[in-house]
Amino acid sequence: MTERTTHAEPLLQVRGLAKRFGSLLALDSVDLDVAEGSLTGLIGPNGAGKSTAFGCIAGAMRPTGGTVRFRGREIAGMAYHRVAALGVGRTYQIVQTFADMTVLEAVTTGALLRHPHVRDAVAHAEDVLAFVGLADKRYRLGRGLTIADKKRLEVARALATDPTLLLLDEVMAGLTPAECRDAVELLRRVLARGITVLMVEHVMEVLMPIAQHLVVIAAGKTIFSGTAQDAVRDPRVVEAYLGAPLEHQEIAVRRAGDGAS
Amino acid sequence: MSGAGVRTNGLALAAIVAVGVVASFAVHDAVTLDLAFTLLLYAVLGQSWNWISGYAGNISFGHAIFFGCGAYAAALCVTNGVSPWIAIPAGALAAAALAVIAGFPTLGLRGHYFSIATIAVAALVETFVRTAPWLGKANGFELPIRSGWAAMQFPSKGPYVLLALALFAAVQLATIALERSRLGYYLRALRANHAAAASVGIGERRTKLIAFAWSAVIASVAGVLYAQYTLFIDPPSTIALAVSIDIALIGVVGGIGTLWGPAVGALVYVVLAKGVALRIGGAGKGYDLVIYGAIICVIAALRPHGIVGSIVDVLRRRRGAAAPDATIACAP
Amino acid sequence: MEALSTFLALLAGGVLTGLVFALVAVGLTLIYGVMDVVNFAHGEFLMLAMYATLGLALLGVGPLLGLPLVALALLLFGIVVYRVFVRRLLAGPPEATVFGTFGLLVLLQGAAQALFTSDYQSVPNPPLQGTMHLGPIALSEATLVEGAGALVLTAVLFAFVEYTETGRAMRAVAEDRIAATLMGIDVQRVNALAFGIGAACVGAAGALLMLSYPVFPTVGAGFALTAFVVVALGGFGSIHGALLGALLVGLLEVFGGFYLSPELKLVPVYVAYLAVVLLRPQGLLGRR
Repeated sequence: MTERTTHAEPLLQVRGLAKRFGSLLALDSVDLDVAEGSLTGLIGPNGAGKSTAFGCIAGAMRPTGGTVRFRGREIAGMAYHRVAALGVGRTYQIVQTFADMTVLEAVTTGALLRHPHVRDAVAHAEDVLAFVGLADKRYRLGRGLTIADKKRLEVARALATDPTLLLLDEVMAGLTPAECRDAVELLRRVLARGITVLMVEHVMEVLMPIAQHLVVIAAGKTIFSGTAQDAVRDPRVVEAYLGAPLEHQEIAVRRAGDGAS
Repeated sequence: MSGAGVRTNGLALAAIVAVGVVASFAVHDAVTLDLAFTLLLYAVLGQSWNWISGYAGNISFGHAIFFGCGAYAAALCVTNGVSPWIAIPAGALAAAALAVIAGFPTLGLRGHYFSIATIAVAALVETFVRTAPWLGKANGFELPIRSGWAAMQFPSKGPYVLLALALFAAVQLATIALERSRLGYYLRALRANHAAAASVGIGERRTKLIAFAWSAVIASVAGVLYAQYTLFIDPPSTIALAVSIDIALIGVVGGIGTLWGPAVGALVYVVLAKGVALRIGGAGKGYDLVIYGAIICVIAALRPHGIVGSIVDVLRRRRGAAAPDATIACAP
Repeated sequence: MEALSTFLALLAGGVLTGLVFALVAVGLTLIYGVMDVVNFAHGEFLMLAMYATLGLALLGVGPLLGLPLVALALLLFGIVVYRVFVRRLLAGPPEATVFGTFGLLVLLQGAAQALFTSDYQSVPNPPLQGTMHLGPIALSEATLVEGAGALVLTAVLFAFVEYTETGRAMRAVAEDRIAATLMGIDVQRVNALAFGIGAACVGAAGALLMLSYPVFPTVGAGFALTAFVVVALGGFGSIHGALLGALLVGLLEVFGGFYLSPELKLVPVYVAYLAVVLLRPQGLLGRR
């Protein structure tokens, strides 16, 4: 499914992922590859199943079918704290803050995974805070941060665990355009460090400048996998988002233009 | 807890120890020394309970079984000619094992289900002890009278108070260390937000088991000391549900999840229970319970974080969110 | 045939015991279901009801006649306790309700001890002292009436919760407090009523129990403990669960007491609880 030739097995490989909630088939068969060192976007229209897919990959729920392999190892259904220990960090769509901990304490908690001595963990946390740009707010309580800073803190906390793969769940939601730009900037720096990123996003424009690879899901199935430029022009993608094949859209737009003039 | 916090608390502890040491030599009134001993012992028990119910957040109503581990270990040692000092590691091992066995299946349970499970486990343990001949059944043990440090028995109460003081100091220092340790961070994270804690690799069951085992060890050491002090132990005095409830209430009154909460709670309990009983005469009258119950009700309704917890809340609000390391104790 | 009649007698005894537990447990689980409070003082409400029944008996009103009065008194008591105390607990952290109701337990036990002494006291000239024979089984009349009374009252409560408007309001609040408020339900009033009804249930149970048990300040603790296990076993908040749990526990207790020994009668109960919760952490019929 990947269109770039990979010499090594992809870092994250999802095949035939399926999830059923009672009689509702949320995911039919989702395939996804995330190459090491890349930023892959997982997008799709509302109700497509991206959150469900993300949930199954991130360990929040157990898929009813298919496999999720991280570094060749099956992680579907594994308890989340074990997945984290394997090197997968994640953020949450609804920010999960440690409300009564300071920023530094929260990131230190993450750092303790690979730096069991508190002193080392604090030092590592300070590095991470400097990297994400929260160093000057290190003594603020989690509950006292703006939403953008809370999201930044979540990323910092995940980064402190020295992950190989970072899973971001609609991290851009609720941010102003300026905050989005800052977030993209941060993601570039994360990539530069060699960390692989898989992002679920609802809004496509956000991913265009940074995603090297896009996977589009609609109605629980993967309908496209390729570059961002190709995605926009792919008729299946357009149909999924706009609900009709491209030619019909063009006719509709032209008709509207005639009517107005 | 910051370096500054450690210094403050360390100084407070040193002051208490100094006063205690002087008192144990200077005071000869048996009643006062008895109150002091009881106070320190309950403070230690309350702190051990605090580790699992406060810091870890799983409220236990069966903690007395670990206290019993130590007490019965001491009784078994002494009645078999072994020094009671051996009972300290022996009881600790038994308590830790019991904690792991009881905790492994139950620490994944949420809230009330866990609390009721602790009651169930404690009841089973009590039934076991009551029916096991080698554990003295319902009659318990009377410890033979000896003397000297090797036998951990003394003619006067002063040395007991010293030992209790040493135990109290050790436990407070251990709790300070807990707050600054990896385990402390992880417990706090689990209490603050389960999902976020899992996302950074914190395994709930594994983490809580460690806290539970340590809290059991502390309680059992207190049990050894208690056995050597009263020289008589039986199920009602050591492992009954009533004892577990007492321990829990001490933690609550003082403030769960705080460093000094158990000590304050023990102070209130001892002053009330023993003090009132001495005045009115006969603890069986129930008046002390009425007052104690009323205090707990008032605290639960108005200041649910307990005495120390409320003070910590006030201090936090004063210092605000911008100051570095604003807390003395990692209160919820 | 001896073994069969013994078995049947135990079965009957277990069911009847279970029914009384059911009445106690249903009150407890109703309170929990509606407002998320485990009323640790539930046993003390039982104790108060028993003392009240005794008081009425000393005035010449027998336990069965006095039952509606005692239930009503506990209903009012429960409402008052809610409005004055439990309501405040709900405003605090979740531990507040645990410790608050525990404080109430200590206070009520102490008050009973101070006012009534620790002596065991029984109803003078209790009615229903005979034995009834149902086929091969001999049962005490008192046990039979206790069980039957509990069954009737539990059924009444069940009907109330299922079919009345107030009962529906309670179920609404139990399911989603915020949505219930949005629909115009006065949550505080529902809570107070639920607490009162829960107290009334255990109050009625207390009146029934005075037919064959003595009362003393800590009598509530034993029953309440079993009731908590029943509720947790059945699943907090589930009335069906409480019924199922109660019957199971009643049977386990009676069979355990006979085949093991009277002092070990609760062992199978606790073991069963731990076993169930291991496999189903939310109890038999509880919500996740």
